[in-house]
Amino acid sequence: MKFEGTERYYLSPELGEIVNISISMEKPLLLMGEAGTGKTRLAFEIAHEFGMNMEEARCKSTFKGEELCYVYDAVLRLNDSRFGSGESGRNVNDIWDYLRFGPIGRAFLAEDRRVLLLDEIDKTDSDAQDNLLDVLEDGSFIIREINHKVSARQKPVIIITSNAKRELSDPFLRRCFCHYIPFPGIEEISIIVRLHFPDIPEQLLEACLTEFYGLREQGFEKPPATAELLDWIGAIRSTGANGPGAGKSVRNIGTLLKRSKDLLKFKGSNQRINQRIPTR
Amino acid sequence: MLSFIQQLREAEIPISLRYILEFYRGLQKGLAPDLDRLFLLARLVFIKNVEHYDAFERVFSCFFLGGSPWQMPDWEEVFAGKPFQEWLSEQIANGRISVDELRTYGAEELLRRFWETLLKQKEQHHGGRTWIGTGGRSPFGHSGSAGGGIRVYGRGLHGTAQKVIDKRSYINYSEKSPLARANLSQVLASLKNLKRSGPETELDIDETIARTAKNGGEIELVFTRELRDRLKLIVLLDNGGYSMLPYIELVKSVFGKIRDQFKDLKYYYFHNCVYGAVYDDLARTRTIPWEALVSRGTDTHLMIIGDANMGPFELMASNGSLYIESGDRRPGLEWLKELRAAFPASVWLNPIAKEHWSVESTTINQIGRIFPMEDLTLAGIRNAVQILESSC
Repeated sequence: MKFEGTERYYLSPELGEIVNISISMEKPLLLMGEAGTGKTRLAFEIAHEFGMNMEEARCKSTFKGEELCYVYDAVLRLNDSRFGSGESGRNVNDIWDYLRFGPIGRAFLAEDRRVLLLDEIDKTDSDAQDNLLDVLEDGSFIIREINHKVSARQKPVIIITSNAKRELSDPFLRRCFCHYIPFPGIEEISIIVRLHFPDIPEQLLEACLTEFYGLREQGFEKPPATAELLDWIGAIRSTGANGPGAGKSVRNIGTLLKRSKDLLKFKGSNQRINQRIPTR
Repeated sequence: MLSFIQQLREAEIPISLRYILEFYRGLQKGLAPDLDRLFLLARLVFIKNVEHYDAFERVFSCFFLGGSPWQMPDWEEVFAGKPFQEWLSEQIANGRISVDELRTYGAEELLRRFWETLLKQKEQHHGGRTWIGTGGRSPFGHSGSAGGGIRVYGRGLHGTAQKVIDKRSYINYSEKSPLARANLSQVLASLKNLKRSGPETELDIDETIARTAKNGGEIELVFTRELRDRLKLIVLLDNGGYSMLPYIELVKSVFGKIRDQFKDLKYYYFHNCVYGAVYDDLARTRTIPWEALVSRGTDTHLMIIGDANMGPFELMASNGSLYIESGDRRPGLEWLKELRAAFPASVWLNPIAKEHWSVESTTINQIGRIFPMEDLTLAGIRNAVQILESSC
């Protein structure tokens, strides 16, 4: 089993090796790095490449970890016991009718080996991460209500992403392979753009990338990333313009800079620099 | 191979036995048939924190490629740092150093000039005189590509081990270097204070059973509020004065991050030392009365960011404040003591690196005896967060 990237996704050789190492060591792979470096896409591409099914968990700050494995709907059961379950076919005496499996539960129970994506794990707080530790390590969790252990039939390929919004707990990090994806350099980004726009003229590409990296250097709050670049080039191409424009007249700037503060800064960048001299 | 691991440990990378076993398991599986893949395997197994990438790469290159030992003095770190870059662009903008001259200077010459300027600024300030505006210079902005062997910051590319190491692509994340935004937010996030709040969505099972039993079996559902983070934080920021100037960018980045992180946050400003009142705005015109500030102490954390570096008389004299109009009668030290007493959970963050505290000024030590003090590195902020955590 070897992962080599797909026609719509550029995989750097380094990252490819890392994916293969984690798969053969059966360790969760934690990908860190700024938004737009393709962390989440990677999981989809792995699933696509190997023809596996995906289980996807988009994390929220309120998650406790357990609901990714299962949820026991006590309220529904109480309600059914009081008013009857009616036509639903649920049996109040059978707790299994009131258990719902989350993405981790489904990945463990499936007959086939699946790709399990825990997206933006950093949104959860550290308690949630602690709860997931042993689950990911042993490939099993316990349904507390009935003390029943669910073990993975096939250990899923686990991909975890983090934007480093919050610190991940050390024990959690210890159980993963961690990789930090740096922002792609100019050669790699050219390859990525060409995957999406195979017929883009050389000159246009070069002009766009120069402008793009120039903007990234300017320290915006949300610097434009790969996704923005692709949108931007798409916009330029669809308007039929023959160049990205320069300085303040960059075309379709709204596709690159998303925050109003950044846009203001971009528009006023020349005057602003002079104003920022301390008066004392 | 074990001595390689030993060297990683010496470079202060935490290595557990489990990693070593894992590493050997990987080797057995034949996952490292060449140096590049050995590099990747070792990094995946041993390095869990992006801050350690730099140290790891140095040890690896030293061990397998025979590079220079990893404790070399790190010019690049200094050159890549904000204060130096700012100083440089300022010098060029002022015409004190022309771009042509720059090419002829060696690294050491540049460093020497850099420190000279900084020290001069400090001396002026110690004398308690006001500084002379230099006019038209901007400590901000971007340094262009400068000659003279100074590497302008580049992003790392993927590549072979050798290439990656040569580029030192992870220099930014070294634990001792000033902070990058990403890793800072990680540390701040560990500060929290859980309380019940928000909508009542969690089923309180004990209470439900009790009420249901009382009702004679008629089910009554009782909901309770979830545990949520409710942290209150006050940040006091030294925003005036020449002495803070070299650290503006650093403080701005820390400050911006703190602002993003906490919902219930107030920030006030002071100049040099706290004299009876703090200010609500950048220009220090709207005051916040002392009583209002200290009364919040019991349930609020306090974080002071400042260089704690001032003329000793500012701290000790009973009319120490530099400004005549403030007319305070108590020395700054007393005010600080009172502040500390009012906020059991408080910490002072100093942008000056810890090693230099005793050299820079005696007032740093004096204030350090009142407030627990840490420097503005990742390690320092981590300690500070721990201090705040443990004191509430």
